[in-house]
Amino acid sequence: MPGLVGFYTFGEGRENWDASHFIRYGLGALQGRGQESISLATVGPGNTLHTLAGKGGVEDFFEKNKTSIPKGFIGIGQTSSYIDDYLVHVKTPYELVLALDGKTDLHENRREASKLFARQLSQLLHSENEPLKATSMLVNKIGGGYSFVALTHKRALISGRNPLGVKPLETGSVGFDIAAVASETCALDVMGIDHTGPVETGEVIMFTPEDIRGNAPAADAGNFCSYEYVYLARLDSTVNTLPVAKARNSIGRELAKAHPAKANVVIGVPETALPIANGYSQESGLPQEPGFVRTGENIRAALEPTQKERLVGVQLKLNPIKSAIENKDVVLVDDSVVRGNTLRNTVLNLKRNGAHQVHVRIGSPALVSPCPYGVEIPDADELISSSLDEKELANHVAADSVSFMTVEELQRAIGLPRQNLCMRCFENGGAKR
Amino acid sequence: MRIMGVGGGAREHALAWKMSLSDHKPEIFWIAENRNPGIHKICKDNQGELRTGRTTDPKTIVRSSRGWGVDIVVVGPEEPGFNGIPDALEKEGIHCVGASQELSIIERSKADLRRLQWENNLPGKLLFRTFKNAREASDYIRKNIGTQPWLQNIVIKPARQSGGKGVKLIEDRLAHLHENKGRFKEAYFDSLQASMAAYSDIEDKILVEEKAWGPEYSLQCFTDGKTVLGTPLVQDNKSAHEFDSGPETGGMGSISGPDLALPFITRDEYDKSLKIVEGIVEAIQKKTGKSYHGMVGGQMMLTENEGPTIIEMYSRLGDPEALNMLAMLKTDIVDVFQAIIERRLSKLKLEFTNEDAVVVKVVAPNGYPEKKEKAKGHPVQVFETNIKRNGCYLFWGNADLQDNGEAVTGGSRLLALMATDHTLPPASALIEKTMSSIQLTDGWGLYHRSDIGSEQLLAKRWDSAERVRRLYQYREEHGTLGRRMEWIPKVGTIDPSQLLLKEMQGPEKAG
Repeated sequence: MPGLVGFYTFGEGRENWDASHFIRYGLGALQGRGQESISLATVGPGNTLHTLAGKGGVEDFFEKNKTSIPKGFIGIGQTSSYIDDYLVHVKTPYELVLALDGKTDLHENRREASKLFARQLSQLLHSENEPLKATSMLVNKIGGGYSFVALTHKRALISGRNPLGVKPLETGSVGFDIAAVASETCALDVMGIDHTGPVETGEVIMFTPEDIRGNAPAADAGNFCSYEYVYLARLDSTVNTLPVAKARNSIGRELAKAHPAKANVVIGVPETALPIANGYSQESGLPQEPGFVRTGENIRAALEPTQKERLVGVQLKLNPIKSAIENKDVVLVDDSVVRGNTLRNTVLNLKRNGAHQVHVRIGSPALVSPCPYGVEIPDADELISSSLDEKELANHVAADSVSFMTVEELQRAIGLPRQNLCMRCFENGGAKR
Repeated sequence: MRIMGVGGGAREHALAWKMSLSDHKPEIFWIAENRNPGIHKICKDNQGELRTGRTTDPKTIVRSSRGWGVDIVVVGPEEPGFNGIPDALEKEGIHCVGASQELSIIERSKADLRRLQWENNLPGKLLFRTFKNAREASDYIRKNIGTQPWLQNIVIKPARQSGGKGVKLIEDRLAHLHENKGRFKEAYFDSLQASMAAYSDIEDKILVEEKAWGPEYSLQCFTDGKTVLGTPLVQDNKSAHEFDSGPETGGMGSISGPDLALPFITRDEYDKSLKIVEGIVEAIQKKTGKSYHGMVGGQMMLTENEGPTIIEMYSRLGDPEALNMLAMLKTDIVDVFQAIIERRLSKLKLEFTNEDAVVVKVVAPNGYPEKKEKAKGHPVQVFETNIKRNGCYLFWGNADLQDNGEAVTGGSRLLALMATDHTLPPASALIEKTMSSIQLTDGWGLYHRSDIGSEQLLAKRWDSAERVRRLYQYREEHGTLGRRMEWIPKVGTIDPSQLLLKEMQGPEKAG
């Protein structure tokens, strides 16, 4: 899953802004969405697109390529969890680069689907004299679930969300000089840019040397990804005007209400589940204690490429604080369960270190289907909840109980109407109960 | 009675409109650089005439007013004042409503305005420093940024009004962006130095001010030199595009009402703002020995250090803010002008409606403000019956009426649409409904800001006002309002305002 940044400047002296510098920190804030592949493109006074792509993470990439980072005062960037997933560069008929989060339905393969989208956009910009209208029609015509940022050699930056609106995209500006778009508001914060609001569903916003212009957004509120609130988005972001931290706290509270447990202490699995555990503690009255200290980088276990690395990742990540769990019954709160490896390691780790009972509470429904819009949720046969029910899973991971939220509970916790939340990964096919 | 107006923008169209409603039934004459279609029509309908000419040339203005035999001249924009039009008229014995050249320094020289405030210890100040050249500015900031942290977050301006040179707002709070922000500051100093080189009459070319944040508003006033009468607050929107993004413009639209203060500004803040403007008028009169009779305005901001604070001064009415104020004005405008001329404003009962909120939205051709050449010369079509049917008002701005009766764009802000209602959002919606009544017949695009007066933008203003208010009221309660204290390791407590005062006194003592 990629994180996107677009950076635009206006006015006199704009050539003194270094777009790559802002993009670097913007992408840095979006690394939680993936950091396997980094790419960026800029355009400066010469109306030439300069691009660079390579392996992540963000800091490594920028340090390693210090001397070859493209210069310019307008630019876009992408950090992606996929291997070799870079900006799509189309040279003719109208030169542009495209960063896209999600998936268009133009092809089975995500990458090919993005390429086809970029080509159609290039064709339209070449042949139509009202580029905004044309792009708006394209976004309404081509299905799937996606957000995108494109940069043309004519210094236009085009950003948009398709009417489904499943993928986030936010706008910001500062002073009279700078405007930006990013997958999450935390990237705007880090770039020192004030958040001005989300790109609405079905909205296209175009930045040109003369103008910033948007089309009329779709009448429908959209179908926002609920997994953003559970796990994907950074805690300090606001997604679709709803603060992620607030959503996670209320998920924890809802979880405590619907799935209580007899225990002495609440422990959250770092990092994403900590605010959920906090909400669980506040609602249940059980004290929350820090349960683990992480060694090394914040590696998102479910997104690791190979099984082996995943195991190492887990062990490095979670060293238990023994005094917090010794001789206690523990509520262990996590955000979701994919293959079950992390959970199994964690529960065993707690018990080996002196915990008595461990009751696992998950701040989302069981994952049972892959995401049609590109979030790395594996196929159903790799999802443990598509074959094991709660009781079987408890036995598998050596927990005394395991409870997931229901779809209704999660929807209530997030607080958006059911029809405006995408919950396909929790539903299609259904969990084994 | 004959009145002559000077200037060809939407503000002047609104002034002419208000004059045409006066019980004095004045004959209305006008001089503008462009043939403003709205002013042209009002003049024709009121036994007068619109003539084009250089509004900054005293000879042109004096000759026309003599030729027409006018009783009062009303100056709209700032440039004629800067060039001494009121002075020239009064020398000839012609009554003029408008700030004279020396008094208009409060607008022309941003540096002199700040000095005036600090010399007289007036409230609503910002820290500032002026520099002779780019090098001096860069060196000073580099050397002192550690001991005077306000130098991180600054506003850079030309020290005096300079053709088309804008304001740069630079926040340098994030360490990882410091290098690029520093480079941007220094490059802009260079660019200012280059454009200011032509002005040999002043020593200081570059002005750096402490950057404040908070909601902005304009307080426009009438004054006869003895009395300053405040009018309803108006908020203009300077960024070209929705939700305050994009380049700086002359103003893309404004809101006011239904009361004297805006929905997010308190009555107490209004009173304080009026005191601040009064203080400036008094101080500049004392300094110059001249009497101020005309319009004056504070472009204000609610700031955490000072509460109501002056960002810049107007030596005239704002454009578009004048439209809001004039729409709310119940008193006969000609009575106001006569009271100013006869120095009896204190006796005048200045009345405003308290029932209507007013929204003004400016329509500009694509290309404005960065590529005005591209924005120029496009023929305009206006469906006046539609506009009237929707209850909206149209004020022409930078448009030029051709001999064939067609109006073409001048490259700057084309016109303004205005609507009133009990609250702001429905007035804003009314204008949105009317926008399609304005078109360019050659297919070139127009734009405006749909967000002005909307619930969403009002909520944002309200929120920012509340945050700033909590801070400045805290300072008020703790006796630290207007003070700026820093504690620097190994140096101790320093007060940048004391440093500033010392620097201001320095050269005087030496001289």
